[in-house]
Amino acid sequence: MVKRSEPLRGSINERDHHGYRHQTMKSNSNSNSHSNQEDLKQQDTSSTNSHITTLDSRFNQTLRNVQGLLKGRSFPGKVLITRRSDPPDGAILGSPGVSRSPSEIDSLPNKHMDDPNEDQSHINKPNASTSHNKLKPSMSNPEDRSKEAPRFVMGARATDTARLLKFTKVLGGTTVILDKLRELAWSGVPPYLRPNVWRLLLGYAPPNSDRREGVLRRKRIEYFDCVAQYYDISDNERTDEEINMLRQIAVDCPRTVPDVTFFQQAAVQKSLERILYTWAIRHPASGYVQGINDLATPFLVVFLSEHLEGSIDNWSIADLDPEKISDVEADCYWCLSKLLDGMQDHYTFAQPGIQRLVFKLKELVRRIDEPVAKHIDEQGLEFLQFAFRWFNCLLIREIPFHLVTRLWDTYLAEGDALPDFLVYIFASFLLTWSDKLLKLDFQEMVMFLQHLPTNNWSHQELEMVLSRAFMWHTMFDSCPNHLAT
Amino acid sequence: MGAYRADDDYDYLFKLVLIGDSGVGKSNLLSRFTRNEFSLESKSTIGVEFATRSIRIDDKVVKAQIWDTAGQERYRAITSAYYRGAVGALLVYDVTRHVTFENVERWLKELRDHTDSNIVIMLVGNKSDLRHLRAVNSEDAKTFAEKENMYFMETSALESSNVENAFTEVLTQIHQVVSRKALDVGDDPASLPKGQTINVGNKDDVSAMKKVGCCST
Repeated sequence: MVKRSEPLRGSINERDHHGYRHQTMKSNSNSNSHSNQEDLKQQDTSSTNSHITTLDSRFNQTLRNVQGLLKGRSFPGKVLITRRSDPPDGAILGSPGVSRSPSEIDSLPNKHMDDPNEDQSHINKPNASTSHNKLKPSMSNPEDRSKEAPRFVMGARATDTARLLKFTKVLGGTTVILDKLRELAWSGVPPYLRPNVWRLLLGYAPPNSDRREGVLRRKRIEYFDCVAQYYDISDNERTDEEINMLRQIAVDCPRTVPDVTFFQQAAVQKSLERILYTWAIRHPASGYVQGINDLATPFLVVFLSEHLEGSIDNWSIADLDPEKISDVEADCYWCLSKLLDGMQDHYTFAQPGIQRLVFKLKELVRRIDEPVAKHIDEQGLEFLQFAFRWFNCLLIREIPFHLVTRLWDTYLAEGDALPDFLVYIFASFLLTWSDKLLKLDFQEMVMFLQHLPTNNWSHQELEMVLSRAFMWHTMFDSCPNHLAT
Repeated sequence: MGAYRADDDYDYLFKLVLIGDSGVGKSNLLSRFTRNEFSLESKSTIGVEFATRSIRIDDKVVKAQIWDTAGQERYRAITSAYYRGAVGALLVYDVTRHVTFENVERWLKELRDHTDSNIVIMLVGNKSDLRHLRAVNSEDAKTFAEKENMYFMETSALESSNVENAFTEVLTQIHQVVSRKALDVGDDPASLPKGQTINVGNKDDVSAMKKVGCCST
């Protein structure tokens, strides 16, 4: 049941399934027992037990968060809702200072600890109310929010400081334990650690700190050799196809995140062009596909944040030493490559990878929310008509740009499991508007889904999308029969 | 289904597609026509986008359902699925980039491979406001359009010139074709040529066909 072929799946998820299955999925226990035992063998019993308890409460926490969302709706995980209430919550409520495996407290996917510079008060705003209101288009209506008292409080969170300590601890060793880093990063990475964490999660920077500098230096030189070889040549040395590709990239660079002025700077667009063209030449099976330009932007922003202060609105790339620009560009290139390595068939002819995931999305939505799935079907709306862009640009086009890096923390923490997890995130994203969708006809739906009202989204709405995705993933992914047609 | 609001009453529903190279201004033509908007900051279209607008032709309300497609070659496999059932097309090139005009022939073939032979096609040279950058001669385009049995117009989505005309002309021509056919076949919508029936994935698949029992008649 557990896909062994996905070694990079966040341990958080896999172990959650186990903890959760172990104690709750009695009916399925036969089919699961084998993999459970196998896993249990690898841990000493006592730690396993405490682990399960904590994971269990973590799961319950998420579950309760999401219960609010699904209030009044039948959904296939009912059996889970009725399970025992969870005293272990107390375990989570313990003071964050208490020594405990750092990875455990933090794995609640809906925590808001990403931005130390974020106003902490918003953290305490009840996520619960968002969930109660999530079906209304007016998600961020403060009145609605205040009316409904939070029915549940988020499990006590570690303070930001405690969380930072955990990151520092994981990152500080001579060898970074990637599984631990994934677990922490899933819930959001503090901005100033993001460049390092992303490089590690993508396997670009080696976990071993002694080797790190050397590897990065070599990779950066390698990138610039490639640029010299492929990009810095005259057009008569290029094939027609290559000229076409370069032309396409040149058309798209000025249209990349046009609403963020930083990307309008000529030097930024030049960097983007070099990255994209070099990547395209080195990946001839797909070549450049529109939308890949969007995917490079979170990397640019994150790696530039190491060198530029303040808000992106005030950044000027001209202030930067050319050598630093080169390093940033090289890091972007390699990280983009690593990200796309896991999704190669998303961009090859006819984009079969995307088509497959769109199909899975449709299946999952049908399982989770039959009325919406039925309505979409009856109206003749194809999932491909709206979800294609979601997969092609990994939701960059659908949410405000300032939320994208947080979303990508989770993406990168998922590692090789990302493509499958995207299906859950996108189902959760779509069903944010399930009530609204039911009221729309075909044309209204197409147009609504093309321009989703996320302009005013804060981290809160995004966290809710991710929490639900996490929960559904936990419920369904270990039970493929739920998804079988 | 079924309960259409008053503003959704129409006599005809025509499906149009917007095709042509990347960056020629398809999405801005669409937004200019359907919402009277133009954006210098528009992003590339991924896959397809969609908008509608109803206009009056003679005494009939014609609703245009317009699919705007991504220009990049890689997307053709996805976008060509949307050609099916289209009764009109705007094939767009950029008057300042000659290569986009050279590619018109390939787009035309693509279109003819996937649509009914009666489809009304207009060749559109967009960005006519960029006079100092013009790279495609109007006469050449006009000659080519005549040869290929297409209508032709130059537009500027930015200046909003000729955009309305281009769409209206296509819709009017389709309307005429349909009316003529309706006469020929004795007003029986069921006997319309199969190829004219649109598959827009909606239950009101009535392209090129009079809405049965429509209250506005």
